[in-house]
Amino acid sequence: MQKCDHCLLEFPDREAVYDEVKGQRKVFCCNGCKGIYRLINDEGLGEFYKKRASWVPGPAEDKPVDTAAFNEHIMQTGNELETDIILDGIRCASCVWLNEKILYRTIGVTYANVNYATHKAKIRWNPQETGIDNILARIKSIGYTPKPFTSKAYEKEMENRKRDLLIRFGTASFFSMQLMLYAVALYAGYFQGIDEETKNIFHLISLVLTTPVVFYSGWPFINGAVRGLRNLHFNMDLLIMTGSGSAYLYSIYEMFSGGKVYFDTAAMIITLILLGRYIEAGAKGRASQAITRLLSLSPKEARRIVGAIHELPLRSSESIPISSIKAGDMIEVIPGEKIPLDGVVMEGSSEVDESMLTGESKPVSKSAGSDVFCGTQNLYGNFIFKVNKTAGDTVLSQIIKTVEEAQARRAPVQTTADRVVGIFVPAILLLSFATWMYWIFHGSFTTDAVMNAVSVLVIACPCALGLATPLAILVGTTKGASKGILIKGGDVIEKSKNIGIIVLDKTGTLTEGRPVLSSFKGIGMSDTEALRLASSLERLSEHSIGKALVSASKALELNDVTDFKAYPGRGLKGVINGKPVLIGNREFMESNGIDAASDRNLLSEIESSELSGATVVYLSYEGNLAGTFSVSDTVRNEAADVVKMLKHKGLDVAMITGDNIKTAAAVAREAGIDTVKAQMSPVEKAEEIKRMQECGRRVIMVGDGINDAPALVQADVGIAMGRATDIALESSDMVLMRNDLRLLPYAVNLSKKTFSVIRQNIFWAFFYNAVAIPLAVVGILHPIVAAGAMALSSLSVVGNSLRLQRG
Amino acid sequence: MWSILILIFLTLCAGIAAWLFFLWAVKSGQYDDVERPKYRMLDEEKDEKIKKQ
Repeated sequence: MQKCDHCLLEFPDREAVYDEVKGQRKVFCCNGCKGIYRLINDEGLGEFYKKRASWVPGPAEDKPVDTAAFNEHIMQTGNELETDIILDGIRCASCVWLNEKILYRTIGVTYANVNYATHKAKIRWNPQETGIDNILARIKSIGYTPKPFTSKAYEKEMENRKRDLLIRFGTASFFSMQLMLYAVALYAGYFQGIDEETKNIFHLISLVLTTPVVFYSGWPFINGAVRGLRNLHFNMDLLIMTGSGSAYLYSIYEMFSGGKVYFDTAAMIITLILLGRYIEAGAKGRASQAITRLLSLSPKEARRIVGAIHELPLRSSESIPISSIKAGDMIEVIPGEKIPLDGVVMEGSSEVDESMLTGESKPVSKSAGSDVFCGTQNLYGNFIFKVNKTAGDTVLSQIIKTVEEAQARRAPVQTTADRVVGIFVPAILLLSFATWMYWIFHGSFTTDAVMNAVSVLVIACPCALGLATPLAILVGTTKGASKGILIKGGDVIEKSKNIGIIVLDKTGTLTEGRPVLSSFKGIGMSDTEALRLASSLERLSEHSIGKALVSASKALELNDVTDFKAYPGRGLKGVINGKPVLIGNREFMESNGIDAASDRNLLSEIESSELSGATVVYLSYEGNLAGTFSVSDTVRNEAADVVKMLKHKGLDVAMITGDNIKTAAAVAREAGIDTVKAQMSPVEKAEEIKRMQECGRRVIMVGDGINDAPALVQADVGIAMGRATDIALESSDMVLMRNDLRLLPYAVNLSKKTFSVIRQNIFWAFFYNAVAIPLAVVGILHPIVAAGAMALSSLSVVGNSLRLQRG
Repeated sequence: MWSILILIFLTLCAGIAAWLFFLWAVKSGQYDDVERPKYRMLDEEKDEKIKKQ
């Protein structure tokens, strides 16, 4: 085995390509890698190989880029053209660096900036010196795939909204900071005395500084409060506006009648709540990307066969867009290509990696009559298939549809804070009204009665309320991140409070996701000898079962093989020490005249290991059966413990998988799970989750493949495992970054704890203000009390949230 | 009194200048990508510097 210096993949010696770069001998797996290595070095970017951490670039596809899709997004700026494109394949900061450098060195490019978070590149160039096709080809030549940036209106709006929020919050902070200078001076004045003139000036400045905060920064709240009132709904916005607005108006009145002002209260309420909202917005808005990624999986073009399929010498193929292909067309697929549509294989055979649909890592063999699916990757052979579904009906597009629908259906969570506010606001309004009545009936002046009633509103609004939820979530998610749990957004925590059932996917979640040799046996030779022969042969194949054998025989010295030949999906042939050696499945043995089913004991052994979820391969030496090997995907070591822990917490645990019931039951037994749903398609998985929810249960779904994506979205909380596909990662609410199931109980615990801190925070946010309400009712509220309540409740909320950092 | 007013005026000017700077920063996209800059220090850009010298 050799390791390619460019792509770091291991490959058999016979395929090695050597080259001399800067006086050093380098080895590559193919000419493509050699070419790219040279290109990168010639550009003086050899640093890349030192920078890259673990990422491996894929081989560059040599298909020309279709520039038509990009042309419509090009804009004119001055003498130059500008466009945004999405770079597929950006994994780390080095990729960003490399792309920017390559683009800057393209003659005619004047500006290139790649956004690491969104993978979006902004490129500006001089149309006299270069063109879009040249730029795209440059990107392609280093192994990244440019995709047109089709900004959806929704995404753009999210971006604008976040920017708007930042401006409003920033404005509020700057003015509040200025305001505090005068507020502190005025507080000092209450104790030490202050002359009328200075006081009036300070009041006036405070008014000027507060006005933009209340009316500009507070505009979303005014809007929301009005909208809420129209629907007779007492929401958080209304509470903020009654608090802030009444403090503002009350202060203006008092300013002219020579009383005490509460401008700082009015401004701080809005500033603190905007801060809370900004913290929240940071984690949101990633979900919509999932669909874009899913769509990018399916190829845009297909090779259609022209002429009749049987007239071999006459037939040729043409590349045409997917949209113009009809059911019944013949499509050719070459090795390494993605299958463009669903259909049935007519001619040729190959192995296809369907892991993106099924989550199953084993390649599936395909020959005439097998079904193939859109978006899956063809591995080794050429074949021709007949299309039976058009682009809108493929399995992949059904999954996309399900994810889209589930995301759209997702109801906004009514947060705990909202519920409390729904009771609190009417209560305060009533209390304020009662105060007014009380003073009127006790012979007070009307103005005094109104002022006392308004001061109830001023003190009642809890400033720290806006911070209560986001702050706890910020601390909780940071704590989670340090342990390897990524929580996307605060609503996840609120949703995970009453979880009743936790559903686990099998492959890659409960199991390791990569097959290992579980048992083997030599027949007519020693076990090690059998393994040695088998591994010598399998070393030359790329199959995942072969890898399992080879990694199990690391300590052995392997034999040289001549006349090697691979039969995809069936087996391998070769000659070792002048004797023919075969390895493969039972059909492969039988078709080569080797009886694999003669020994009854052996047969029952094989059957039982197949029952336990293993795949059995056979070895023959000199025409006789010489050994059997059971390869299985092992259940994670920690799985049983984790299931026990979850059950101990009072959760029900279930397993759901696309695999057959035999394998599924074997894995479930080992992990200690009682409820198993097997042979589920991705869409059925989501339906099963929905059924559970309809029974009134809250569901956590844990999975890692695209096939789990619909279920992950449908579940109340979707958790993806660390090695999961992009789509699963984006469809989920939480990600376990280390590939360790033990994080799961910890994550459940953390969200429970965070939720209880949120509840306590809400209590503390209200507490001091509520205690001060009697002062307002009897008409002796002082600005110092309002400021004190504001400070104390904020401190309590911050302090309480920080408790989450421990443990 | 005048000295206080002048100082107040100056603080307001400084505050508003900072605010305008902040608005410019947001509008010109300084906050759009907060992930990348933390990796920038790792880019040595050696070759670039040598060329310029």
